[in-house]
Amino acid sequence: MNSAIELSGLGWKADRSFSLRDISLRVPVGSIYGFLGPNGSGKTTTIRMCMGMMKPDHGEIRVLGMDVPRDMPRILAKVGYVPERPHVYPALTVAEQVRYHASFFKPWDEGWARELMERLGLDPTWKISRMSKGETGKLLLLLALSQRPSLLVLDEPTDGLDPVVRRDVLTAVLDYVGETNATVFVSSHLVHELERICDWVGVMDDGALVAELPMQVFKNGIKRIKVAGAPVEPADAPFTILSRDQANGSPAVETWVVRGWQDSMRAWFESSGAVLRDIVDLDLEDGFVELLRSSRPRTPHRS
Amino acid sequence: MFDDIDPRSPTPLYEQIAARVRMAIAAEELSAGDGLPSVRALSHTLRINPATVVQAYRDLALDGFVEIRHGQGTFVREVPAPRRADERATQAAELVRQLLQSAARVGIGVEELAHAFRAEAGVDIRE
Repeated sequence: MNSAIELSGLGWKADRSFSLRDISLRVPVGSIYGFLGPNGSGKTTTIRMCMGMMKPDHGEIRVLGMDVPRDMPRILAKVGYVPERPHVYPALTVAEQVRYHASFFKPWDEGWARELMERLGLDPTWKISRMSKGETGKLLLLLALSQRPSLLVLDEPTDGLDPVVRRDVLTAVLDYVGETNATVFVSSHLVHELERICDWVGVMDDGALVAELPMQVFKNGIKRIKVAGAPVEPADAPFTILSRDQANGSPAVETWVVRGWQDSMRAWFESSGAVLRDIVDLDLEDGFVELLRSSRPRTPHRS
Repeated sequence: MFDDIDPRSPTPLYEQIAARVRMAIAAEELSAGDGLPSVRALSHTLRINPATVVQAYRDLALDGFVEIRHGQGTFVREVPAPRRADERATQAAELVRQLLQSAARVGIGVEELAHAFRAEAGVDIRE
């Protein structure tokens, strides 16, 4: 088994306005995989299917080498899942909730649960109904981590949390990974947060997976370049042009956003009679926005 | 030592970490036998993927700058003086390349840079 999660040809139709379309993705064992996409792009639906909570119309799901939904009990024993909406009981205290959750999991790590409780600043006597969103978020993570899972599935684990809590949550995850080499599948629409921790990225938009690649390739492959004397139809370009616009001020210079860039491609400009004036690196968020812009159908803005 | 690590930079994090360590060795901030932070400690402090730190340390080991002793940690090796000088030269060249690139972007030529260099550092870099 070298994939912690493997989806092939996943499809599901919710109604006329939303469907998951032919999603195939692969989360390598030991990676931290960032599942990016705007709100409503289908991230949570996909995750719920991986957790056996929804059934796709077609396609195959394998988690930790096992079949969903057939092997679900065995899978759940090894997966720590932090859902988008808390699945805790408001009437319980923190200690009661922890004891309840622990009773379902054999490799439960009592010592670590206690340590996390302290590190995350949770009080066992608190009533869950009186806890803030941030405190509840930390409790959910504590529950998932104390199971000592081989795979952590985190659905927007930091959404709506303040920066301090967000940091606590992410460091707790990283510490766990450093200790156990567990795989992490984490969804977020907060791109910057994932930039420093992920080594793989999958990008969802409108029910489809529009990109899946190693973080470094994704980040380095998207550039904004300035081109003078650009050909009208650059048909044989070795990279993909996501967008082209006239640079402000000088009509002879165009700004292109390109994907799949490599430095050796500079030579192409000479052979096409154009001059490459400048290459600007884009960070993950810029790259993400440009990618989504180009993947969406739009009316052409230049002839 | 790792204060200037920038996750948004297009230079991969593992390369930034390895470059910082090489520079620290070249500048004798780190000397033979010194231990690097553990993978877990550094990933915790920088809030980055532990695998990224592992890759940086592995690259440093391949280049002969450090030695990974299993179960003990990562330690700086004896790096001969000429090698340290090479490393400093490499870093200096990289800094100049960055300067030239930024200058070109705003249309400042080498002549103007040389002028500014004399004004700022009191050294003539022409000839």
